[in-house]
Amino acid sequence: MLIENTKCECGHQNPPGTALCEACGKPTGEADGNEPLPMRYEGAARRSQKAQKNAADRIWSFFSSVRTAVVLLLLTLLGAAVGSVFPQENTILNADAIDLAEYYRRQYGMVGYYYYRLGLSRTYDSWWFRGLLVLLGTSLVVCSLDRVLPLYRALSRQKVRKHPTFLSQQRISFRAQVEVGGQAGSADLLDRLAERLRRRGYRIRKDGDALLAEKGRFSRWGPYINHVGLLIVLLAVLARSIPGWSMDQYLAFPEGETLPIPETPYYLKNERFTVEYYREDELPETLRQKGAVVPKEYRTEAVLYECTANCDDPMKPPVLREVVRHDILVNKPLRYRDLLVYQFDFAETPQIVKVRPTLRNAVTGETIGKLELRTKQPETEYRVGAYKLELVRYFPDFSLDAEGRPTTRSPVPRAPAYVFRITGPNLPADGVSHLYLVRPADKETYREADLNRAAGSPFSLSVESMQEDLEFSLYTSYLNVRKEKALPFVLAGAAVFIIGVCIGLYWQHRRVWVQVENGELLLGAHTNKNWFGFRLEVARVLREAGFPTDPRAIDKGGKRSWT
Amino acid sequence: MEDMKKQKRWLQAVIFAAVVVLGGYTIVEGFRSPTKTPEVGDQAPDFALSAVDGRIYELSGLRGKVVLVNFWGSWCEPCKREMPAIESQYRKWKPSGFEVLAVNIGESAVTVKGFMEQYGLTFPALYDPNESVRKKYGVVVYPTSFFIDARGVIRFKQEGEMNEPMIERIVVSLLS
Repeated sequence: MLIENTKCECGHQNPPGTALCEACGKPTGEADGNEPLPMRYEGAARRSQKAQKNAADRIWSFFSSVRTAVVLLLLTLLGAAVGSVFPQENTILNADAIDLAEYYRRQYGMVGYYYYRLGLSRTYDSWWFRGLLVLLGTSLVVCSLDRVLPLYRALSRQKVRKHPTFLSQQRISFRAQVEVGGQAGSADLLDRLAERLRRRGYRIRKDGDALLAEKGRFSRWGPYINHVGLLIVLLAVLARSIPGWSMDQYLAFPEGETLPIPETPYYLKNERFTVEYYREDELPETLRQKGAVVPKEYRTEAVLYECTANCDDPMKPPVLREVVRHDILVNKPLRYRDLLVYQFDFAETPQIVKVRPTLRNAVTGETIGKLELRTKQPETEYRVGAYKLELVRYFPDFSLDAEGRPTTRSPVPRAPAYVFRITGPNLPADGVSHLYLVRPADKETYREADLNRAAGSPFSLSVESMQEDLEFSLYTSYLNVRKEKALPFVLAGAAVFIIGVCIGLYWQHRRVWVQVENGELLLGAHTNKNWFGFRLEVARVLREAGFPTDPRAIDKGGKRSWT
Repeated sequence: MEDMKKQKRWLQAVIFAAVVVLGGYTIVEGFRSPTKTPEVGDQAPDFALSAVDGRIYELSGLRGKVVLVNFWGSWCEPCKREMPAIESQYRKWKPSGFEVLAVNIGESAVTVKGFMEQYGLTFPALYDPNESVRKKYGVVVYPTSFFIDARGVIRFKQEGEMNEPMIERIVVSLLS
């Protein structure tokens, strides 16, 4: 069994896989005099580079490879592209109320139909797309940890005094004879260099006749900070699938009605909806000629309630408590906790909401009283004067069917008809039937008076004033109810990302090693970015210390050197 | 060195555990698509609604019986046409363990009650005022009928009008 000897000549024991000795920087392998040293991650051993022993190691190195990351990114890109071919299901309003297969076939043809059947209309919620994001996140974490931990350790522990080959084999290096002046002479030179470097913001550390000047180490963490930001964004996006974290509903609220918001304990009432149109003189010429009608502003006067009791009880009505009132305009939503209610659309849906007819004796004309009838979920018992009216039949949109039986054409109260059983003084014991048609046109068409007379009812029920005794709702307001708990985290992650990018991009990590030994000045310098600017700086420092030199002369040029 | 190895191993284990948990959860969530409507072979979603007779009916309370869940509205012509057929079959097979739950979509109580009386229907008519059960079952066409067996599994879904022979055939096959 061959055990690799990784002990450096300086005496330090390096972990297997180390390229540059952790202590003195001497290269562990063959020294190729012309190629600059492999300085990546300070030449430290990375977990993924060492010989892989077990499954855990192999999985780790798979995820830490950049190639894996690129492949995952490409696959995610392809997946996302597929999901953008046709509008996804979550962009369709009230998708749960329509036949989606039919919808996609009608809108986009057979391609659309198969798109739906393959589940591609739900790409971003699919198991494989989410799986890709999870793999991407894993790659992100493993890539970063695999590199940042050895880097941090190496940079924290770096020694001032390095092996001479470490300095001479740096991409920027300089060698010169020093005037004879003995110990004092060399110390003076070192101090002069230190001063020139300190002036330029370097932190100086000395060890005898060796010096290390360093600045901008923090910029090395930039890429890792931006990866943390990306990870936060990814986790936030995945968090949206936690129940209650995201919601996007489009609901209709006719005026005057209080309706529940599904999946929440809230109810919302549209008290009034108003729409204002642009006047003719406010429109541009082209639209005016077309006679276009353009809404200027529409608002829903909304009230939000919270259900405090009987919320799931099918027998009892829910107990509601008002929590907030707000006029919802376009882009000015109602906000309560993490609930957002936006104005989305509206429709003109004139309906009778309430009707207040007067009960009279048809023969004598005597007025008995008034009652108030709702057109949705009307009450079943009413008392007017001495009489009791029990509602036994109700047809919101009255008509007669093919067999002549009373029926309703739709659930919308366009032509309400109420059938009462009236009991009271001077009436038979089991009461009389009475038909009440709200619309005067219906009264005529169906000969209401004759029918009631034949049924034995002495009454008449009708509205006295069309203005005061009828309550209309004219509009239905469409509201977009949303929740997006993950959004602040996405923004925070994006901010961290940008900060990381700035740190890594606009600052560079520069180090200069200097040794003055036996009358010789040896300098080596390294940066992670911007060699062009760095060699200028080093050349200037040398010139100021008495060793004028051309910047290009000290730069060996990197592997892909074009600066 | 050994200490560093142990730390690294521990870190690896933590990361992989986190990936498995998060990944597993996210992917499984992807399977549980919210707009999935119950199809033949699925367990019928449970619900509890109040009926014309004042009682609350729970679907799971009828486990062990063959149940027809019918979604209807009083304005819907085909719904009205199939009601007599449903009523007749209900009377015939109820002693053998057949039940009917007729879920009405959001109409007022008096309308539903009046309809049942007008047509002489004796099976329970349930109110679904918020259309929550309609949404649960993904009903978009009226009438829609679900035939559910004694174990609570949907065995047949019919969108549109049914006739008596058809209902009888299905009920008999499920009762046996």
